[in-house]
Amino acid sequence: MSDYTIIGKRMPRVDSRAKVMGKAKFTADLKLPGMLVGKIKRSPHAHARIVNIDISKAMALDGVKSVVTGKDTEGVKWGVFAYTRDQEFIQTQKVRYIGDEVAGVAAVDEETALKALDLIDVEYEELPPVFDPMEAMASETELIHEDFPNNVNIHVNIDTGNVDENFEKAHYIREDTYVAPEESYFQAEPYAIVARFDHEDCLEVWCPNGGPHMKSKPLSNAFKIPLHKVKIRKITIGGAFGGRSEICPVDYICALLAKKTKKPVKIEFTREENTIATRQGHAMITTHKTGVDKEGHVLARETTCYMDGGAYSSTGPIATSVPFLSMEQAYRMGSVRYNGYRVYTNKPIRGMIRTHGRGFACGLDTQLDIIADHLGIDPVEMRLRNSRQPGEYTSTKSFVDSCAMDETIHKAVEKSGFKEKWGKLPPFHGIGIGTNSVQTGFPMGIRGGSQSFIKFNEDGEATVMSGVVDNGQGNDNMLVQIAAEELGLLPEDIHLVSADTETTSSDPGSYSQVSTFVGGQAVQIAAKNCKEKLFAVAAKVLKVEPKTLVAKNRLIFVKDDPEKSISIKKVVRISLLNFTSVNAEGGYWPKVDMKREWVKNPYGQMCEAFSFGTTIVEVKVDPDTGQVEVLEVTAAQDVGYGLNPLILEGQFEGSIAMGGQGGMLTEYHEWKDGRCINPTMLDYKLPLACDMPPKINSIIVESIDPKGPYGAKEAGMSIAMSAAQGYSAAVSNAIGVFMDSFPLTPDKILTAIKNKEKQDQKV
Amino acid sequence: MEKILITLHINDKPCEVMVYPNDTLLEVLRDELDLTGSKESCGEGVCGSCTIQMDGKPVRSCLTLAMEAQGTRIKTVEGLANEEELSDLQQSFIDHGAVQCGFCTPGMLISADALLNENPRPDKKTIRKALAGNICRCTGYAKIIEAVAHTNNPQESCPDCITGSKTGSKPNKIQGE
Amino acid sequence: MRLPRFDYLGPDTLEEALDLLAVHREDAKILAGGTDLLVRMKKGLLQPKFLISLKALNELSYITQEEDHIKIGARTPLADIIDSDLIKDKAFALSQACEKIGAASIQHFKGTIGGNILQDNRCHHYNQSDFLRSGRQACHKDGGKICYAREDADRCNSTCQSDGATALMALGAGITLATKGGQRQVDLASFYTNDGIMPFACESHELLTEISIPVQGALSAYKRLAYRSAIDYPIVCAGVLLQPPKSQTNDIDEARIVVGAMGRSPLYLAQASSSLKGKKLSDTDAFKNAAELSMNSSAAFAVHNVGATLEYRCAMVSEMVFKALVQAAQSVKE
Repeated sequence: MSDYTIIGKRMPRVDSRAKVMGKAKFTADLKLPGMLVGKIKRSPHAHARIVNIDISKAMALDGVKSVVTGKDTEGVKWGVFAYTRDQEFIQTQKVRYIGDEVAGVAAVDEETALKALDLIDVEYEELPPVFDPMEAMASETELIHEDFPNNVNIHVNIDTGNVDENFEKAHYIREDTYVAPEESYFQAEPYAIVARFDHEDCLEVWCPNGGPHMKSKPLSNAFKIPLHKVKIRKITIGGAFGGRSEICPVDYICALLAKKTKKPVKIEFTREENTIATRQGHAMITTHKTGVDKEGHVLARETTCYMDGGAYSSTGPIATSVPFLSMEQAYRMGSVRYNGYRVYTNKPIRGMIRTHGRGFACGLDTQLDIIADHLGIDPVEMRLRNSRQPGEYTSTKSFVDSCAMDETIHKAVEKSGFKEKWGKLPPFHGIGIGTNSVQTGFPMGIRGGSQSFIKFNEDGEATVMSGVVDNGQGNDNMLVQIAAEELGLLPEDIHLVSADTETTSSDPGSYSQVSTFVGGQAVQIAAKNCKEKLFAVAAKVLKVEPKTLVAKNRLIFVKDDPEKSISIKKVVRISLLNFTSVNAEGGYWPKVDMKREWVKNPYGQMCEAFSFGTTIVEVKVDPDTGQVEVLEVTAAQDVGYGLNPLILEGQFEGSIAMGGQGGMLTEYHEWKDGRCINPTMLDYKLPLACDMPPKINSIIVESIDPKGPYGAKEAGMSIAMSAAQGYSAAVSNAIGVFMDSFPLTPDKILTAIKNKEKQDQKV
Repeated sequence: MEKILITLHINDKPCEVMVYPNDTLLEVLRDELDLTGSKESCGEGVCGSCTIQMDGKPVRSCLTLAMEAQGTRIKTVEGLANEEELSDLQQSFIDHGAVQCGFCTPGMLISADALLNENPRPDKKTIRKALAGNICRCTGYAKIIEAVAHTNNPQESCPDCITGSKTGSKPNKIQGE
Repeated sequence: MRLPRFDYLGPDTLEEALDLLAVHREDAKILAGGTDLLVRMKKGLLQPKFLISLKALNELSYITQEEDHIKIGARTPLADIIDSDLIKDKAFALSQACEKIGAASIQHFKGTIGGNILQDNRCHHYNQSDFLRSGRQACHKDGGKICYAREDADRCNSTCQSDGATALMALGAGITLATKGGQRQVDLASFYTNDGIMPFACESHELLTEISIPVQGALSAYKRLAYRSAIDYPIVCAGVLLQPPKSQTNDIDEARIVVGAMGRSPLYLAQASSSLKGKKLSDTDAFKNAAELSMNSSAAFAVHNVGATLEYRCAMVSEMVFKALVQAAQSVKE
């Protein structure tokens, strides 16, 4: 490990300079000659039939260049999965949520485009809407999608067998229900898209995305042009957090407007549109039934979860599964039965989100604390008795190779002083622990692997091509760091061409948590292949065996005799003069069970590695107002290997803010008749600088995964989830009440405190 | 509605530009003057991504009429560096890992710069208050606060406080060449 | 998000501004910092033909003491009020209130005390974009006949969330409204119509020019509750004033308790206030009683329209009032 020159170091990111200078271009910053402004007409009704659309007045408005409706499409329904094709890009028959797309306009400026929207006459016949998933499942409700009876979009059933027998054997059983409403990503950058058809009839698109290849294929299908003519371009992206990973109507509409007007078209979402017309997190009602033996080992578990999916499927199968999968990875469960139902409602669409199922996870962990309390075990011990160990299989039969879950628990406990504090703090002062696990990817069929290509320029510097996208988490830097390390160059010698579907190969996308494991590894392999070629040439020049050589600091030299060296630049030039290439490619495909499928066959090897993490939180609750003051957060994650501790710490801290501070204390959506009444940054409460805890400890634990690049696994999501669990546990501990409704806003905390006071007085 | 010619003083340079009365300063900066560093993230004066300095004080440019910016000295993120040489604050942001997606960064830098000009060595509590009007979704603020605190006050205990740079303005020495 | 079109008027003096107001009246709106006005215009809630800007009217930005009154120009930035030792010393509730408004980057240019007092009433059903308000009947404040915050309500129940106004009413402040050719002084307490649609009792050609706070050696404090420690409007707030008699004993001669963010205007609570007359500054039981009376009085007015639950906000009224009373009492100079 200490042999590394660049890997493992706190290296500032390669993309930071452009960002601090204000030079980095985000989609909305782009200006192309002749560019038009696009706007979308959206349904103001939650559920209605489209009777007629009249665009004549809009078309006649001076400055309007094109108006498109469902009539301009073929009415084909799209879906992330073949069995979830339920959404037209522009609705022709029905609208299913307030915000659903019914038309698009391209005009010379924003004012004209907005006026044109007002001039589009849409006649609706309102239908009875349904906003509650339980109501939606009842048979009398008008179906939102004709092909989905009882409005059940997805049903994931996992049953490892013997569940009921094992419940019989249990010493103690608890059944509890936990609820959490939806939350939103609130990426700093509101969604925007620029599209144009160029002189070769190629479609060029810039937009924030969680994987450009996820956007290019559907556009290729929709416009019936081959993939090599669809160019999703690299652009600086202002956050994704699990969103922006699939094609959505505005992408199609923008490209269609560009096609019709023969001009570039830019559509910028308002903050409100970003909240209601992209994706949100699912609201969930989760019932966990857990049976344990006398020592607190979980023998059996039955979990049923109803998820409010909103109006369309999106990545439904994934979102319905991951909350469960994270927990089965983190904990042994003996035998388990899981039924996850994703239900349609007439609300904005829900998708995958970084904190995958805050109520689900917090509920499971809270229940472990309740059981621990009953059995007289402390929460840490309870975790250790059930924690995932290396060499085990998860309930759905994924082999877990590297796993340092216990180490994360022990280190977090030690740093936070948990043992000294738990049970010994003054009233309304609490400490809590949460643990979780995240998979590095899932079987993605044809897009499960990543390929990289590296070319050398004659000045000895390199261009690295990779399909990996950077949403702000630091993936660009990760790729450059890996390439530099392997090639023996310095980071500034490397130019990265990434996330551009014209030049870079397919990649699973950042939302699948494999950017490092699969994408980074592909770059590592490509670089190693380059190095082999460089060494072959250098060996001849230095008259040594290639296996004696190493590359560092722009030099290739004999490891045990550094004086015998040659610069990489010279080697490249010699190769070119001798008609040899030192360019190389590399690819990585994780060995997963290709037959595993979210719904049809949710068993088998899910991915090659899992990350594990623990977050311990210490809080003080004001018993008069229910407000929470977070004193200290300690996050420890088994990331496999810390490629760049500076970036990892940033990921931990950001995860704590999103999953814990916001996700557990202030973030939720409120509704009135299907209308989101807090879509803005004022009314949806993201944590501010002055709200964050003063002390955050980040502990990087390394299990050195045998398959991961340098042993690295994943680091962007696990802490968001365990932070939510830790916050919840801490507040519950502080007030002496196990909470079951999230987020833990002051009113809920206060009510819990008052109810406990009344109960204590009765005793 | 007619366009009016106004003169804005931006980053120490006068700029003449034609504006409508209902143009905000943010729109004029981005659309007319190609200064796209300042961003729109909420449009209603909450998030701080549009923050610029007016006579040294941080201001929401999305709620400032372009016409009302006349007669003031405006500084945007593009004016923090001296040509290609970054300011100490900008360099500190890079070194401390305070930049992730970068969307909030221009506004953060402007607010922090305004603070440091009045109070070169603020404590963390003061920094949090000064940055309370700048929302970040990626970093959890920790490294931003540290970057600002250490700009004029580097700490021995901080592994990221270095003079010069690892990447960025000053390239590393070439070895072995 | 673009602003709708308007004609911009930039008078150089107060006189010019009043002339313009007299001519344009309802067709014009006053632009100070714009944090309330411009946001509502972007959401399509109003579309004035003219904006009359106070930018050049530096004569309306001042903090002075004249005999037994502190005079504050309406266009004084919140940052100036926060920095003022005079206000910290003699009108502490206002200093505390202003500190909580917005954030540092709003308090310098965008936030003015006049603007804060005159910010329109708010409701999470009303303060939405054009789009989110379409597809349903308009509410009272939006020109319709329905209230989404309180079922079957025949009137608008939007809420006054002004920190400044709550503190100032507790301080017994008065305001000056100027017109072309004249002006009038009004007690802030009489300035409210208790109507959600038009909360202020002033004509369209009147301009708020000055706030006047009586200085009588009183003790004051302000407490507010919000989700976050910056940016947010209060979900409940309380300003209190305790007037010890001139003999400087520890007895309360007069008390003023004002609760904000609960009703259509800041609520001066007469019963709760008078319950403290003759009580000692150390009488926390009397404070608790006054706090409870405050809660009971103001709960009747509140509806669920500013975030947080109604029950919670009502319960917090007594917390805020109690805490403010304790703080005011403790600020007595030995």
